[in-house]
Amino acid sequence: MELYPVFMWLHDLLESTGIGEPWSTIISYGFLAVTVFGTLSILALFLVWWERKIAGHIQQRFGPMRTGWHGWYQTIMDAVKLLQKEDIRIATRDKAVFFWAPVVCFVAAYLAYVVIPFGENLIVADLNVGILYIIAVTTFTVISLLMAGWGSNNKYALLGGMRSAAQVVSYEVPMAVSILTVIVFAGSLSMVDIANAQQGNIIFNWFIFKPPFGIIAFLTYITAATAEANRTPFDIPEAEQELVAGYNVEYSGMKFAMFFLAEFVNLFTVSAIAVTLFFGGWHGPLLPSWIWFLLKTFAVILLLMLFRWTFPRLRVDQLMEFAWKFLVPLTFANLILAGWFKYAGWHW
Amino acid sequence: MGVLKDFFNLLKGMTITGKHLGRRAVTIQYPEQKMQMFERSRGVVVLLSDKETGDLNCTMCMLCMRACPTAAIYIDAPRDENKKRVLKEFKVDHALCCYCGLCEEACNFSAIKLANKYEFSTWDIDDLVWDVNKLQDVGRDVPYVDTRKKKPAAKAAAKPAEKKADDKKSAADGAKPSAEENKQSEGDKPSEPKATDTAAADKTAPAKDEKAVDSSPDETPESDETRRSADDDTKKGDA
Repeated sequence: MELYPVFMWLHDLLESTGIGEPWSTIISYGFLAVTVFGTLSILALFLVWWERKIAGHIQQRFGPMRTGWHGWYQTIMDAVKLLQKEDIRIATRDKAVFFWAPVVCFVAAYLAYVVIPFGENLIVADLNVGILYIIAVTTFTVISLLMAGWGSNNKYALLGGMRSAAQVVSYEVPMAVSILTVIVFAGSLSMVDIANAQQGNIIFNWFIFKPPFGIIAFLTYITAATAEANRTPFDIPEAEQELVAGYNVEYSGMKFAMFFLAEFVNLFTVSAIAVTLFFGGWHGPLLPSWIWFLLKTFAVILLLMLFRWTFPRLRVDQLMEFAWKFLVPLTFANLILAGWFKYAGWHW
Repeated sequence: MGVLKDFFNLLKGMTITGKHLGRRAVTIQYPEQKMQMFERSRGVVVLLSDKETGDLNCTMCMLCMRACPTAAIYIDAPRDENKKRVLKEFKVDHALCCYCGLCEEACNFSAIKLANKYEFSTWDIDDLVWDVNKLQDVGRDVPYVDTRKKKPAAKAAAKPAEKKADDKKSAADGAKPSAEENKQSEGDKPSEPKATDTAAADKTAPAKDEKAVDSSPDETPESDETRRSADDDTKKGDA
């Protein structure tokens, strides 16, 4: 119900033209959906380009340079190319599952943006269970990866899908628990309330500056989020050297592009959540709120990209061991201690 | 505390990648920027020309042809009636060439070289066979050290200078002596004018000599020939 100015203006405009109540609301929400979808698609394309530039410069290359100034429309041309490609469908596929897997992946990636506040009043719907909703819908991604693996009828794809399921289920636990620690601080599940709880006192009200629980929660969250987004230290599902390309090995053309873009939308999602939970959301002086939000989010994305181009990939058993034997006990201890401090009313 | 140590190591790795992120890329954007190859890098085969005369240094000894392990060099230089070799054909097939540089090592006359140029790809493999003109043209601006022992180029440069000096002297001599001869034939004053003449020639000669040396590299063969014929004429006249 946020994005008030535009939404209410559009709603009133439609009311004034004599369209009945259900239709005016539906059209207004449709407008919101298209806006969010368009913004995110552009962001995802930008992130692909940015990742390639960062990867290049870390390795002392340039990255894309040929299409426009420093290759700025490289990913747009890639998308155009993928749209023109033949959609190859192997004969032994599971037809329905194969078809729906990229759709589920794409939709699940975009669903989280219902509750992510891009700025003051710049949120599609301020659900009172916002963060819980995000944890719920982002889990759809793993279903889509499993569907892609199964539907492809390919051993590499199936292995990738199974690995991804095991990984994401494992890392859901420490991620959810580290998010719970923040919820203990904020006392609310709503994304807007969590961001508002970090307002004021320059930056020292941010939840990351609540030692030691805030910083531990952030570190465990960012680790689990990297695994959730299937990014490099934890990109077991894709593992190019082992699994060719993992779950999406049989996909081509626009279906592949949907997986690819969803991956980068997920990257933005986990960074946006990190900003809202730990870095004060859109709050900041002078600049408009949405600029602050984007600046912080891109900083977190830069951190994740540095992870990707620095760390080598874990082995499957190491991955599981790390999740269950290290992250889960740490996050639980962190949560219990934070809850105890909060219950006792000790301030820090 | 193993965890803290591991964490520290991760941070260390990220500092390194972060530092590299800030550095300049070493990529050379090829068609716009071109890499300057090292002086001694072995690229395209060229024939070198004399720095002064612009003629080929090649003496058609065929040592390079024999040294070539892939038979990329083909020279056809039959002897003419004076038993002097005349260059008919000099071909280098860059498709066969393995860029080993053995021809360059075999050559005693600084005539063939693997230049540091690398852009000579073609659409047609037959275009990789270069004839003598192309080999010479590409090799014109290639810097090289002239290791020829006899230095015929230096002699060639010195000769015209001498000739020119002689030429002018004799021209000065030749113009007046003809008058003198007349005088001699008419009257009897042979010693005086001749002495003054030679003295004047001695005075002017050094300056003229320097000039001739300065300008000699710019002289074209044609002027050389004309000068030679003039020289001959004056000699005849003297005789």
